[in-house]
Amino acid sequence: MRSFLYFVLFLMIAVIVTVLAAILGDEGAWYFAWLIGTTMIVLVSAAGGAMMDAHEEQLAEQQRAEAGRRG
Amino acid sequence: MINGTVVDLSRIQFAATALYHFLFVPLTLGLSFLLAAMETVYVTTGRPIYKQMAVFWGKLFMINFALGVATGLTMEFQFGTNWSFYSSFVGDIFGAPLAIEGLMAFFMESTFVGLMVFGWQRLSKGQHLAVTWLVALASNLSALWILVANGFMQDPTGAAFDPVTMRMRLTSFQDLIFSPDAQSKFVHTSIAGYVTGAMFVAGVSAFYMLRKRHMDLAKRSFRIAVLFGVLATIGVVTLGDALGFVDAKAQPTKLAAMEALWHPEPAPMPFNLIAFPSQAQQRNLGAVRVPGVLSLLVTHSLDGTVADISTLEQEAQQKIENGIPAVQALKTLAHNPQDPAALAQFDAHQADLGYGFLVQRYAPHLSQVTPADIEAAAKDSIPPVAGVFWSFRIMVGLGLLMLAFFVLSTLYSLRNKIERKTWVLKVAVWMIPVPFLADEAGWLVAELGRQPWTVYGVLPTWMSASTHSVGYMAFSLIGFVALYSVFIVVEMYLMVRAIRIGPGEQGGSGGGQAQPRPTLAPRAVPAAPYGSKLEG
Amino acid sequence: MHTFAIAQVIWWLLLGVLLMGLAVMVGMDMGVGAILRYVGRTDAERRVALNIIGPHWDGNQVWFILGGGAIFAAFPLIYATAFSGFYVVMLLLLWTMIMRPIGFEYRSRMQQPAWRNVWDWALTVSGAVPMIVFGAAFGNLFRGVPFHFDWDMTSYYTGSFLGLLNPFAVMTGVLSLSLAAMMGSLTIMNGAEGAMHQRARGLAQVAGLVATVLFALGGLWVRALPGYELLSSPGAGVPQTPLQQTVGVGGSWLHNFGAHPVLWLLPLLGFAGIIGAVLSARAGRSHLGWWLGAGAWIGVIGTAGAALFPFMLPSSSDPSMSLTVWNSSSSKLTLLWMIGFAAVFVPLILWYTSWAFWVMRGKVTPEMVAGHDHAY
Repeated sequence: MRSFLYFVLFLMIAVIVTVLAAILGDEGAWYFAWLIGTTMIVLVSAAGGAMMDAHEEQLAEQQRAEAGRRG
Repeated sequence: MINGTVVDLSRIQFAATALYHFLFVPLTLGLSFLLAAMETVYVTTGRPIYKQMAVFWGKLFMINFALGVATGLTMEFQFGTNWSFYSSFVGDIFGAPLAIEGLMAFFMESTFVGLMVFGWQRLSKGQHLAVTWLVALASNLSALWILVANGFMQDPTGAAFDPVTMRMRLTSFQDLIFSPDAQSKFVHTSIAGYVTGAMFVAGVSAFYMLRKRHMDLAKRSFRIAVLFGVLATIGVVTLGDALGFVDAKAQPTKLAAMEALWHPEPAPMPFNLIAFPSQAQQRNLGAVRVPGVLSLLVTHSLDGTVADISTLEQEAQQKIENGIPAVQALKTLAHNPQDPAALAQFDAHQADLGYGFLVQRYAPHLSQVTPADIEAAAKDSIPPVAGVFWSFRIMVGLGLLMLAFFVLSTLYSLRNKIERKTWVLKVAVWMIPVPFLADEAGWLVAELGRQPWTVYGVLPTWMSASTHSVGYMAFSLIGFVALYSVFIVVEMYLMVRAIRIGPGEQGGSGGGQAQPRPTLAPRAVPAAPYGSKLEG
Repeated sequence: MHTFAIAQVIWWLLLGVLLMGLAVMVGMDMGVGAILRYVGRTDAERRVALNIIGPHWDGNQVWFILGGGAIFAAFPLIYATAFSGFYVVMLLLLWTMIMRPIGFEYRSRMQQPAWRNVWDWALTVSGAVPMIVFGAAFGNLFRGVPFHFDWDMTSYYTGSFLGLLNPFAVMTGVLSLSLAAMMGSLTIMNGAEGAMHQRARGLAQVAGLVATVLFALGGLWVRALPGYELLSSPGAGVPQTPLQQTVGVGGSWLHNFGAHPVLWLLPLLGFAGIIGAVLSARAGRSHLGWWLGAGAWIGVIGTAGAALFPFMLPSSSDPSMSLTVWNSSSSKLTLLWMIGFAAVFVPLILWYTSWAFWVMRGKVTPEMVAGHDHAY
């Protein structure tokens, strides 16, 4: 039931977004570009942060592996 | 009728309070989305360091936000207090976006900002993330509606003058919100805010890295900020260029002033890289020129041309002559709204009504207007060239400087080399004021370049002000300057202090008990106590 | 009836709702500010008081900003004429209100008692002064304000700052302050325990009794003031300027109540709300008292609005240039669009504001404040 309600909620959001995008794409291309652009900027920068964690973990693992081999 | 000193003082007061307000707003616009980015990583990866980042930058956000809200109060009411003729003249159109801003955006922003700060222990992770996103979205929606209102001042679309009510009347709400100027101005300004936020976070993070403090937090914040910044700066530059394209059509006098283009020139037109414009002599006292670039920049082609100041002045003279009968008809209509002859005369000349108002400054009785009056008013139709020209170059120059910085630091950050490049970090710290200067310069280009109008081509600035006495204006101006000066000192002090103290050991809660007690967190998020991991 | 006239009345009502929202929500925060130094004797207690409204003052303050925006959009002539005419008063209001966000945000960021003391005073002043100004502004509407228009609708205000501080306006100012103090006390009772709760309980009763007396006194006083009456005008729902009507002075401001006796329910609601709130405070039922206090605000503001209708800003120097609902509103198109936006967003605002209050419900204790990293 809970999943279903979430599904309905997200479906509604998706419909609203689609309608909004259709209108904005026509009349307010710049506003539309802002929505897309902002989302992209936030996601790319967030991904950059996550990438740093992944990289550091990898480094740590390598060091551990090397230490293990030596030991 | 209208005292010129009062108008000047009102303008100084508006510019001072608006520029001051605009020191805090861009940081809110950008930092809010940076907070959203950091918290998004926290919620998706579950790493406590990102929560710590969101909390720490959130604290600096709030120091800035308080002054943004406080000075915004002045802005909301200053149209009425100091620009009463303007307010009644265009309130039908201009008031609506301001009210919608409150309804749609500011309420959301202010309600959720309280939850963002106080709700960490009361909301689930997902709920808190949603709250942070809503704060970011709402603060930018707020900017949207303010810039829709401002867009109307730059390029009045969707409205007409109504001789019955003697005011402007809305004719199309869609035209108002989808005006090209409003749209391009909004994206440009909002993204300029992102650049400001990114530079701030990058600079402060660099400050920590230089001192080898809070390295985990600083490295990650720096990475997120520079990626955010490089994309935003590319956006702000390209959108700024597009805005120039829009302005060339809607506000030719602003563009001519931006480029210090006094006389007609054949295509491809050269670009004044550096020039020393003289308004009195109507020429540049020396200029460094790059051939062909102006046509390319503004019309995106080599054979396009841009209107020059002398041509625009001649056009203004014709518009003034055409506008005078419209104002005269209005005087009749004020006493006798049904007078058919006056209505017909108004209809025939109403397109240039604003230019008729413009010459009234020199000839209060329009029946006695002289060619010299018309010429003086036509000269007035050009904004102060040197101010607009240099503000524009400062804005663009600083924008390109930031672009170079963000590209370089993104490169080093992605290669995980940034901690060792101390010179880049030092530059980053010194770059913190740069976006703020660029923002202020941008405001000057837009609003100084709009002169002599409050509503471009429709309502002259000199008519718009309230009929206060010089004494009142001096009193209020001194009051605002004194109050705001105290506030900026306090704000800078607290901001620098909070940065120096750093995350985890803020004096904010007093008694040195900065760390939340686990017992008080009913739905404790799996976060390590602040600071313990970092400082160790 | 014409759509335009209906839209004008709807916006007049909506403006009333916004003013009531302003009075209830901002009044509560301002009340807490005004009584801060009385209910909070120690720094810890004052921090409890500030943190009770801490998560909400910012959202509440938007009622004030929205009020300004809505007047601008719906009644631009009122916005332009009133705010420029009341210039010094507006400066007083703005300068004190500007101190509030900064006071909340900055007060507890430093330890020094002197620093905190300065901000406590700032919060006290910025709680009391705006409420007096709001009330005094309403009082002045009943006396009329000296302004007139040029042919092109340039407005001229010919009064002085001191003229706005006449006895009737001072009385309505104190009425507004006492209601705010009552609501502030009830809010403290809702969120605090122990000695603070007790002090607030006493103060709520005193403030409520003062408000009752002043509201009654105001009613009697208004009977003695000359009322305004539209003698001729282009009518409701007709685009016009204020130059096209004639207004008579000398009737009674209670004229509308005579014509529509049902309006007497509004002052009744005012009295019942205040007295109910006082009794609830006495009985320690502060949540009920808060809602009754909100009802009192609705009654008091509704009474003033109903008495003035259709006048919004009467002119004392040239009564025929008085601003009414009919001659100062925006165009039909603007009003209709704004009704649309209000219909969508006002319920949404009420919904998420309630949610925010629900999330932050419960008592605030000194331990919580000391343990919270972000506390004010």
